[in-house]
Amino acid sequence: MAKYITKRILKGIVTFLITITLTFFIVRLMPADPATLLMDPRMSEAHRQQLLKDFGLDKPLIVQYFSFLRNLLKGDLGISFMQKRPVMDIIMEKLPWTLLLMTITQFITMAVGIPLGIYSGHKRGSLFDQIVNAVAIFGISIFVPWLGFTLLYIFGYNLAILPIGGAHTPGIDGGLEYFLDVGKHLILPVITLMSIYLANYVLYTRGSVIDVLSEDYIRTARSKGMKEMRVLWKHASKNAMIPTVTTAGLMIGRMVGGAVLTETVFAYPGVGRMIYQAVSQQDFPILQGAFIILALSVIIMNIITDILCAYLDPRIKLE
Amino acid sequence: MLELKKKSSFRKRWEKEIKAFLNHKIGMIGLFGVIFLVIVAILAPVIAEPVSGYGDYEDKLLKPSSEHLFGTDDMGLDLFSQVVWGTRSSIKVGIIAVILALAIGVPIGLISGYYGGIFDTIGMGITDIFLTIPMLPLMIIIAAIAESNSINMVAFIIGIFSWPSIARITKSSTLKVCGMQYIEAAKCLGIKTKSILLKHVLLNASTPVFINLTIVMASSIVTESSISFLGLGDPLTHSWGKILHNAYQSGAFGTAWWYSLFPSLAIIFFVISFNFLSMGVRDALNPRISRE
Repeated sequence: MAKYITKRILKGIVTFLITITLTFFIVRLMPADPATLLMDPRMSEAHRQQLLKDFGLDKPLIVQYFSFLRNLLKGDLGISFMQKRPVMDIIMEKLPWTLLLMTITQFITMAVGIPLGIYSGHKRGSLFDQIVNAVAIFGISIFVPWLGFTLLYIFGYNLAILPIGGAHTPGIDGGLEYFLDVGKHLILPVITLMSIYLANYVLYTRGSVIDVLSEDYIRTARSKGMKEMRVLWKHASKNAMIPTVTTAGLMIGRMVGGAVLTETVFAYPGVGRMIYQAVSQQDFPILQGAFIILALSVIIMNIITDILCAYLDPRIKLE
Repeated sequence: MLELKKKSSFRKRWEKEIKAFLNHKIGMIGLFGVIFLVIVAILAPVIAEPVSGYGDYEDKLLKPSSEHLFGTDDMGLDLFSQVVWGTRSSIKVGIIAVILALAIGVPIGLISGYYGGIFDTIGMGITDIFLTIPMLPLMIIIAAIAESNSINMVAFIIGIFSWPSIARITKSSTLKVCGMQYIEAAKCLGIKTKSILLKHVLLNASTPVFINLTIVMASSIVTESSISFLGLGDPLTHSWGKILHNAYQSGAFGTAWWYSLFPSLAIIFFVISFNFLSMGVRDALNPRISRE
């Protein structure tokens, strides 16, 4: 197991290195050069050169790349063009909100989606299964901003029972009240972000339960006279979960994309909304930094998922 | 004569699958949905006059009526026309994305699967990385940096990141096909590798790739809509995401429900049609899963 974990972490590091290299060159090689975007055209030439030097944009690309790597190791992601503050500080203010949103969504999605998928696969063809299937197909087809707006419209404006945006009410800073307030602000964003992924979990789990239920060991368990529910939840579900957990890793990367849209709609102060704002301000250090941090989070979560998979299915370690 | 023989054997080979597809209700609904969308896209100039710029002030945010089927936006422009013309952009983006995904994904999958070894390690390694990293933020960054965001540019960005799933599927089906005896036989006969790859391996690996293409099509529209919704789309082309962006920016989505409802329904209709189509094709080719 230790060998597998080391291998997996090494692979994660390589993935991360390639990701940041790719990002660096994509940002630098695009037609619009960050220097011109940063500059005010009325700026004097001397001032311009000074600014270029301050941001390190006057050196050759390869030198910039290595100093970028060196700084990254020190946790330095550069300075925001607009806010003139370290990107790392800005991201660290936003990241907890995004992680909170995504972790809660992930847990609820798995807790609801996996049992729903198992049961619907077991009752294949029944009315329950057909309803779950139909809802899931609509679920994967939903457009996140639209669902967000609709929920906002109904619960935020018309019924006015839930907050219309943000992550907490300013002024409430401590104790149970703060906790409840943050929870209340999370309800609509979590439901919105959940929609697509819940459907995915249900469909994946359903598919693998159907496969697993036709295996020999299930027939053996049944022929021993074991109760059907015990066969399903004890024997079939553990194996049926392996493909689902495997895809959970891939799902996290896609969920980040959903988080950008959800946070924008709900004005949720996370990294996703920061990306949206940085886009309209053409703030490249922020964009680059946000992407690197998000990619790192996803890679770490992927390593955790893979280790979990190896625990569930010992065959994986041998590959 | 030989041609004729080939054709009839093709028909024979797929007869069961075509019949299974025709009996698949959901798949047929999807097929009709897709045909409907293609017709709307082609006939857009006949169905609705293109609108642009500013409309009349009196026409601002009108409710759906017989004159404006989907109502009007905050500029006083007809939303029905915008949704119809948006269909054109969506189909265009989908096709470009699919072509690029095929052009990049299929060779990578074929080479990884056929040659194995170092090719496989590198090819699948890159694929894995692209599958892991959060794509939407990366595409947003590129769209933000790119100088011109024409609809073709957006489609290009989506396309160059849509290939990993195609590469994976091509590889796994290539592996399956390469294990078959007729490939071995072809190798023994001294047929050139290139022609084995193109003629035998690719042809037989193409069905799972095709199923995946409809999914790439559906997801490329969701991505395009997301990019346009965030204000990074083509400012000169009508797209469903752009209408939603305008609705969000104008702040009218709370009062004018039709503003965001119709473009959203269009997106959902598009995605569901392609998902249904792919379900139908998959079940028709894979009877084991579908016996219900």
